[in-house]
Amino acid sequence: MINLKINGLDVSVEEGTTILEAARFIGFPIPTLCHNDGLSPYGACRLCLVEIGEPPRSKLVTSCTYPVEEGLIVRTDTERVIRTRKMVIELLLASSPMSKTIQDLASKYDVHQQRFKQEFEECIMCGLCTRMCEEQMMAKAIGFRGRGQNRSIGTPFDITSEECRRCGACMYICPICMARCQGPQEESPLCNACLNLSPPCVETYGQKMCYMDPCVACELAGPYRKDKQRKEKEESAPVAR
Amino acid sequence: MQKLSSVDELKNFRRLILDEPEEEKPCLVICAGTGGQASGSNDIIRVVKREILEKNLQEELSLRITGCQGFCEMDPFILVEPELNLYTRLKMEDVPRIIDAVAEGRVVEDLLYRPAGENKPYHCQKDIPFFKKQTRTILGSNQKVDPIRTYDYIRRDGYAALEKVLSNPEPTWIIEEVKRSGLRGRGGAGFPTGKKWELARASGNGATQKYLVCNADEGDPGAYMDRSLLEGNPHAIIEGMLIGGIAIGATKGFIYVRSEYPLAIKHTLIALRQLREMGLLGKNILGTGIDFEIEIVRGAGAFVCGEETALIRSIEGLMGEPRQRPPYPIQKGIHGKPTVINNVETLANIPVIIREGADEYAKIGVPGNTGTKIFSLVGKIRNTGLVEVPMGITLGEIVYDIGGGGIGGAKIKAVQTGGPSGGCIPASRFDLPVDYDSLTEAGSIMGSGGMIVMDENTCMVDVAKYFMNFLKDESCGKCYTCRKGTQRMYELLDDISKGKGTLAHLDLLEELAIAVKESSMCGLGQTAPNPVLSTLRYFRDEYEEHILQKRCRAFVCKDLVGAPCQSACPLDTEAWRYVAHIARGEYEDAYRVIREANPFPSVCARVCSHPCEDKCRSGTLGGQPIAIRALKRFITDRVDPSVYEPKRISTNGKEMPPVAVVGAGPAGLTAAHYLSLHGYKVTVFEADREPGGMLVSAIPPYRLPHDVLRREIEALIDENISLKCNQVLGRDFSVDSLLGDGFKSVFLAIGAHKSRHLNVEGEDSEGVFPAIDFLKAFNMRNEKLARGRVGVIGGGNSAVDAARVALRQDGVESVTLLYRRTRREMPALSDEVDAAIEEGVKLETLVSPSAIHQEAGRVTAVDFIRNRLGDVDSSGRRRPVPIEGSEFTLPFDTLIVTIGEIPDTDSVSGMGVEVNARGTLAVDEETLSTNRPGVFAGGDVVTGPNTVVEAIAAGKKAAVMIDRYLRGEELKQPVQAKLPEVYVEPVMLDEEELAAAERAEPPAISVEQRTHSFDEVEMPLSVEAATSEARRCLRCDLEFTQPKEEKTSVEVPVSADKGGSA
Repeated sequence: MINLKINGLDVSVEEGTTILEAARFIGFPIPTLCHNDGLSPYGACRLCLVEIGEPPRSKLVTSCTYPVEEGLIVRTDTERVIRTRKMVIELLLASSPMSKTIQDLASKYDVHQQRFKQEFEECIMCGLCTRMCEEQMMAKAIGFRGRGQNRSIGTPFDITSEECRRCGACMYICPICMARCQGPQEESPLCNACLNLSPPCVETYGQKMCYMDPCVACELAGPYRKDKQRKEKEESAPVAR
Repeated sequence: MQKLSSVDELKNFRRLILDEPEEEKPCLVICAGTGGQASGSNDIIRVVKREILEKNLQEELSLRITGCQGFCEMDPFILVEPELNLYTRLKMEDVPRIIDAVAEGRVVEDLLYRPAGENKPYHCQKDIPFFKKQTRTILGSNQKVDPIRTYDYIRRDGYAALEKVLSNPEPTWIIEEVKRSGLRGRGGAGFPTGKKWELARASGNGATQKYLVCNADEGDPGAYMDRSLLEGNPHAIIEGMLIGGIAIGATKGFIYVRSEYPLAIKHTLIALRQLREMGLLGKNILGTGIDFEIEIVRGAGAFVCGEETALIRSIEGLMGEPRQRPPYPIQKGIHGKPTVINNVETLANIPVIIREGADEYAKIGVPGNTGTKIFSLVGKIRNTGLVEVPMGITLGEIVYDIGGGGIGGAKIKAVQTGGPSGGCIPASRFDLPVDYDSLTEAGSIMGSGGMIVMDENTCMVDVAKYFMNFLKDESCGKCYTCRKGTQRMYELLDDISKGKGTLAHLDLLEELAIAVKESSMCGLGQTAPNPVLSTLRYFRDEYEEHILQKRCRAFVCKDLVGAPCQSACPLDTEAWRYVAHIARGEYEDAYRVIREANPFPSVCARVCSHPCEDKCRSGTLGGQPIAIRALKRFITDRVDPSVYEPKRISTNGKEMPPVAVVGAGPAGLTAAHYLSLHGYKVTVFEADREPGGMLVSAIPPYRLPHDVLRREIEALIDENISLKCNQVLGRDFSVDSLLGDGFKSVFLAIGAHKSRHLNVEGEDSEGVFPAIDFLKAFNMRNEKLARGRVGVIGGGNSAVDAARVALRQDGVESVTLLYRRTRREMPALSDEVDAAIEEGVKLETLVSPSAIHQEAGRVTAVDFIRNRLGDVDSSGRRRPVPIEGSEFTLPFDTLIVTIGEIPDTDSVSGMGVEVNARGTLAVDEETLSTNRPGVFAGGDVVTGPNTVVEAIAAGKKAAVMIDRYLRGEELKQPVQAKLPEVYVEPVMLDEEELAAAERAEPPAISVEQRTHSFDEVEMPLSVEAATSEARRCLRCDLEFTQPKEEKTSVEVPVSADKGGSA
């Protein structure tokens, strides 16, 4: 067993446990986007930051990837952690405001505005889908391509993969996935997708099965109407380039 | 190659090679590294080979083709051993002369290296300043070794360390030796190499497979140390890897090298093959039972693959992206096995440590930071190249002594160390010792050793933006803060550089940068904000200037600068526009453009310091700037001023309040003129008996004829302006009395007329004059004060003016100008100094006066002490340091002292107007308002002695501010970047004209004519010269003014003679 201190509490956990697991085990909430208990830790979203060590030599690490160490001192709620986490949320909000998950996070962490140029991205590259595909579905049909701002998720050469069994697990696990809800449409206040449980993405993604729960995001997303944003985005696109 | 089968055989083989006598014939050493080849060394090598064969000199000469030797600025070069004569920047036709000379034992003087601007050549490479301060433990071998000849390497004690290790292959002592040497990882983070090896040795208990990786994925822009080491001496790295492999128990090594380095790959492959043939690589090396194989892995060019965890994944064949540490590679690396990753330079140090011993090695450098570090010194520096210095040397020594300082005398602003992940260190911190800890403290990192030098023409916002642009593309994108953070930082910087920034941008930028630094997964993201944070820390004023004043002082940010000539002009003169009109023959239009911005066109056409020409793109891009001032002269001499009718702003019959202007110099008269155009009744008070200020009292008539000046002043004084001469502030009136007399606002522009003292004994002797008194006596009262042998102390424009005036006076035998630094540092306009020398003024530099001798109260001689140039001071120039025992005396009958003037503000300070510590009036720079409401000040009284154009600009600004004040408007109003607005159709040049185009220099009257009269020296350009000069203009404005609908028709040429209106 490994002994460590989390927020002043002595904790004893098995070797190989991550800080996140240990903290959640004793009840300290740590937000995550790219973490899922059934998948290998990845460390992409940077939301689960905690501070380890004693100041001034303390540092921030992602708790989901950091294995516990004997005598480790962990604090999950310091000013430094919160300040940085808020900036991460602000960045998320600036790029993917349509996600209810992110909107909820923002309210929870008291982030009221974002100060960057508004973008509408449908993916935060958390890698849950690729890991789901590889680790749980044993398919490796999709993966990351490109780097930096050109990073994207897809199949090799954009050709429909023979490995893909259209299981829909990638969509099931997506925390953001804009394919889940298109938001209120021009002609009606609701997309109706939530009501009849056949989301619009089925049209796009053909025979995929979808395990989607009904959502109310479209009601909350009033000011961020998708069709309007699309239009704005197209208009502003040449300037951004 | 002979196969060796035991350590003893290796010993004997090495002995055999080492015992060979040193060749006595001279050897030509030619650098053929990638840099050398790019500069043409392949051609030189071809000619050398042909010459040697043709002249049958095979027995007399030998030839060695090496990798990069570091002095890349001087490529291609030939170094002749053993004398080490260095022939630099050679052309193919130079080679035969060198071959002949070397064969005959001579030296070709004129081809030897000499620093720019110096005549004396250096005969020995070791004496050259670039090499003198370096300690070339690692890089030095590149000069001695042909990288594809193992023989050369062994001859230079190569594989001695391996032999030592193989004779006693016990890892403990090797690791202990490396630990004791204090070697720290040269890749940038500075982790102790010995410790890393020890941990790796212990990891996995020796039972499983281990790996050693040489990290040669060198991706920093401007850094090429690792490339040069692999290219120039691959054996040293391989030897280091073998030793490392034995120490940690690895049996397999990888060299991860970028595929952009084909020469490095080629040389390494050759070296590996030779070693396998010799039995030094592979299974059971020399029968010791040790296995070690090395494989080359070519990186596909992702910057992030230099990060160790990403590199491991790349070697495994996966996508190169980092993962969170721990576990560290020494615990879980390639295929989950313990892996040590060392930088190329670290490994190159290993053979030296083992061979020479740790204690010997640790003597170099400073405790905690031992050994040497190779830097690639690039950017705005004279000696570009690779330098190897002991740790702990100061940045200043690297930049100024080794690097030779800025190019063309430009002031160096900062160095950027550590590539994109590093930070900028300002020149004020160049005393910083170069070691891992100091650089980190200063907000940068050692990094792999890129050192990019930036001078005053580098914009720090642009630098940060450049690196952020690089990083947003090179971030792997795995972790969100690095991917989005770099992209968002780039967006914010882009906004600022385009003039769309606000102060909130700065706060957000800083907040974001800190968050990215703290929360990113790998080294790339954690250090990515460094360029932003360090520039914000040291150059925040530049950021604020971009945001508040919409100004880029380095003239880089295009959307703020517009046309550099216009942006550089304090008056915002559209120089591009009148130059364009001249090219089209539209002279009256040109005059109107000039006069619109400047009430003193003829004056500025003669005496302006022309900042426009300094920033002209024709010049900054490497050619000669357009002669803008001469073109202005051409127009003002040719066009009748009456073509321009000043625009009067209607007051709608309203009576405007009276304003007082004190001082009728360029600042005062300009303010009065523009206030008058707004309808104000202005009274100008002048202390002297005629208006003009310094224009009339300090500038000699051979530069600015008095009648030209008077005509221009008279044209400005209209019915709204009344001029009162012989009225002295503090004697005849005061600020209070002016306000009491009904003036609603006062503009103080009394100039700087009080001379500073030398503080030298005997300064009060007869025959010693401050320059301003000397010039004033002549210009205003026609008194000729100089006689006999005249000495002028100083290096500014007034010193040169005084010298040239003295030369023209009767009874003067000789004039000597004495300056404490060198000609290069003289603040005077270079043309003026040239003219003075032409006329016979003697120039004596690097001298300071120490005492003035007098006889019967009159000066007879002056004692001087010689100086040498010392360290660089805050002005970016080298400080003069007196050389002890170099005192000498020069006889003088007249001594003119020009070490600067200060304003005479004693009387003003008594009137409740604040004076600052420098003795000038304290004003708000943006509004020119003093502490007293309604009282403004500008010109030399605020800035100290300054240029005419700055004074006119101050007058213009004062008029705007006084107008706003009297209308009750806010004084501070948002600034807009001044961009070209009017489209003037360009003229077309054919290739021939373009190639022949050369800067037109205005003609001057003959030297004989000059020395005996005060006739104007400079004459206007001819029509032909002016036209061709104006046609040479690059027309930077067109980028902003091109009419959209005419974009297609631009390709249709319009020749100048067709004319047409704009």
